[in-house]
Amino acid sequence: MFSSTIWQSLEMSPVGDYIAASTWAFPTLETIHVIALVTVFGSIAMMDLRLLGLVSKNTPVTAVSRETLPFTWTAFVLALITGSLLFVSKASYYMVNPYFLTKMGLIALAGINMAVLHTGAWKTVMNWDVGNAIPTSVKVAAGLSLVFWILVLFCGRVIGFTLGIYVPA
Amino acid sequence: MASISDLLFEMTEWLRTTSVLDLSLWIDSTQARNWLQENFFAIPLMQTAHILTIALTFFSVVLVYMRVLGLSGMSRTMPETMKRYSSTIWWGLLVLILTGIGMIVGEPVRELVNPIFWIKMGMVIVLILLSALYYGAIRRQMVDWDRASSHLALRASGFGLIVLWCLIMAGGRWIAYAPV
Repeated sequence: MFSSTIWQSLEMSPVGDYIAASTWAFPTLETIHVIALVTVFGSIAMMDLRLLGLVSKNTPVTAVSRETLPFTWTAFVLALITGSLLFVSKASYYMVNPYFLTKMGLIALAGINMAVLHTGAWKTVMNWDVGNAIPTSVKVAAGLSLVFWILVLFCGRVIGFTLGIYVPA
Repeated sequence: MASISDLLFEMTEWLRTTSVLDLSLWIDSTQARNWLQENFFAIPLMQTAHILTIALTFFSVVLVYMRVLGLSGMSRTMPETMKRYSSTIWWGLLVLILTGIGMIVGEPVRELVNPIFWIKMGMVIVLILLSALYYGAIRRQMVDWDRASSHLALRASGFGLIVLWCLIMAGGRWIAYAPV
């Protein structure tokens, strides 16, 4: 099949082959991936919990955003790079794994959710920056963000248990 | 690199001669362990809870450190920063211990007869002791924090705390790859 050939050729590329063959490369990349993802989720959760009005009620929303956002983006880029390298080493296995595909879908949904928030309700942030009068639409977006990212972490963990179950044809 | 593997192998062989092996085999025969093994999603769910808690706890540690450095969080005073994050850090550590115990019950031999697990546990104990010292020192100085000196020792040792957290996370991942 054409598509599976693409994934297999990625695996056989010098980078894919090196990561798969090396004793240290895969676990090292995985370690950096985990530290990056933990930072992504930690920073996003702090922001979402503030938007839900559950923590830091006396700190302006924009101040929490300034504290967390640089970590979110830096760690996300690191997770993306390490995740791509991990993917290349076993591409055909990941592409038939429903938990990997669900994880990718959930990351896309989390991105769309964030984009909708920032192009919509966030424009009025100065009206609800301080205190707890946060619009319902913002609270819904924050709740969805938490759910999406928790499921991303869960799917990421299950991938490790199912790579031997879902194997490419 | 080979010498590290050899050392880890030797540590595993030594662990097999201790009562840790008996303990892990006993846990392996308990109903709790059987339940966790029979329910496919039980261990991944516990690991996810462990990772979620690491995220909230570790990022709280990072944000307190950013305030110590004066790089962010300046809208709060240091007492306000400590009030906001110290409960997350200490409750987080407790939940990490509890979910960690759950993970040991789920896979006792893989965890306990594993040199990297014990290296990680050693680092966790050091982390808890250093955290108690570190946050205790901040509490003693926090009232006049922004008017006082540069807090050079806390700036430097805070970096060490962050590195230790990262090493513990690395240990957690490398448990799966220990040459046992």
